[in-house]
Amino acid sequence: MSALSSIVVSGIGVTASAGQNKEAFLAGLLSGENLFGIMQREGRQAPETPPSEDETPLQEKYLGAEISKLSVPDSIPKSLLRTASWSSQVTVSTLHEAWNDSRLDEVASERIGLVIGGSNVQQRELVNVHDKYRDKPQFLRPTYAMSFMDSDAVGVCTEVFPIRGPSYTLGGASASGQVAVIQAINAVRSGQVDVCIAIGSMMDLSYWECRGFRTLGAMGSEKFAFSPELACRPFDLDHDGFIFGEACGVIVIETKEHARKRGADIYAEIKGWSHIMDGNRNPNPSLEGEKTVVTNSLRMANMTASDIHYVNPHGTASIVGDETELSVLKQSGLEHAYINATKSIIGHGLSAAGTVELIATILQMKAGRIHRTRNLTTPIDMDFNWVREKSIQQTISTAISLSMGFGGVNTAVCIEQC
Amino acid sequence: MNVNEIFDVIVKNTREVVPALESHNFDFEDSLKELGANSVDRSEIIMMSLESLELNVAMIHFARAENMGDLATIMHDKQ
Repeated sequence: MSALSSIVVSGIGVTASAGQNKEAFLAGLLSGENLFGIMQREGRQAPETPPSEDETPLQEKYLGAEISKLSVPDSIPKSLLRTASWSSQVTVSTLHEAWNDSRLDEVASERIGLVIGGSNVQQRELVNVHDKYRDKPQFLRPTYAMSFMDSDAVGVCTEVFPIRGPSYTLGGASASGQVAVIQAINAVRSGQVDVCIAIGSMMDLSYWECRGFRTLGAMGSEKFAFSPELACRPFDLDHDGFIFGEACGVIVIETKEHARKRGADIYAEIKGWSHIMDGNRNPNPSLEGEKTVVTNSLRMANMTASDIHYVNPHGTASIVGDETELSVLKQSGLEHAYINATKSIIGHGLSAAGTVELIATILQMKAGRIHRTRNLTTPIDMDFNWVREKSIQQTISTAISLSMGFGGVNTAVCIEQC
Repeated sequence: MNVNEIFDVIVKNTREVVPALESHNFDFEDSLKELGANSVDRSEIIMMSLESLELNVAMIHFARAENMGDLATIMHDKQ
């Protein structure tokens, strides 16, 4: 490809608590109704423990927004689904939407690549298997040897769809989804493939990960344990950590010329991107790292901060994370842009977040609507152009989306409507 | 359990692992391989059947089985 070729998004697939497919997902975001509750999926809550001597009350329950019903396309073989993890089932079903959306049947299979963002994404499934077979390991199903690996999702997707170009998983913690998009762009720009599919895979937490995140202080919500609808509150004075949300996003990346030749619809052009490490193994954010990716992606997009109409922030509801991110946006000159927090409606998808939030950005751009930010009663900083109480009608031509992950991962992507 | 009852367990698990065989009329001479079950499917069917029967038998014992009747017979003999 030419160095001047434009990189575009030509297909989208999305599944989250707000809905499965683009239309349902956008409608869920714009309605902004509560999707949070005590999580019900098997393996999400720790087994009941007896009260302690001092009669410490009930064990904590983990809150989240789970996918209520997954519609699996008939074309996906039942024999494959039987042993595919929940995460892989959601992934392959979501890919189905993006595949058809982008008309990828018309592209040579060896010219299509796949990058699945996320590592250790099926912990709940593993815990359930371990619990079931702890006392009878001799009967462990042979397929466990395949399904325990994250890369099984690559096998499942490439068996169902004719993807024969380089395909792999990568890990970038909570920035995995956006790292996958950036790697997919690199695969297209390098000429390795003509089309590359980026997936933010569905992170399937067990009660062990929930416990770990809670103990670390990253996961809320002790303040709103009995009011799940109030628990997820990015950028609000009462925020106390992220609330989990099941989600998966799929984005098809290619050049504008390649998409046009096929007659595929173009959602947006990706104008700039950046992926920088802090050099910090810990979960704490870095103002310098975040500011660098914002600056780099704007520069690459040949834009200034004043050109940006809308910011889709990482906005997890972490106390330090939210404050750091707003400082970054302020120092970058982005206070004027409209801003909301997608996680306030669908929760934190962890490995999926970066892809799903880029999809949320694109769909809002296309609809000319910006969704509200739930529970943003008292913003920690009033200097921003918050969309708070209800969704608004607003033309957006340019946007920046940020993702950050444990271990010092920072990413940003600038997009423009075509 | 007699051999026929064990055979029924194997058939039930085969139908679960290979849904395309849902309406197939199984008999002892049927070969899982010839019916389209790949090596992973076959090991899965055997392990599911062993679990159903609570039989602790090493997989190596099934290497000489040529058909589903042989599988049922080996499991019966190991009870």
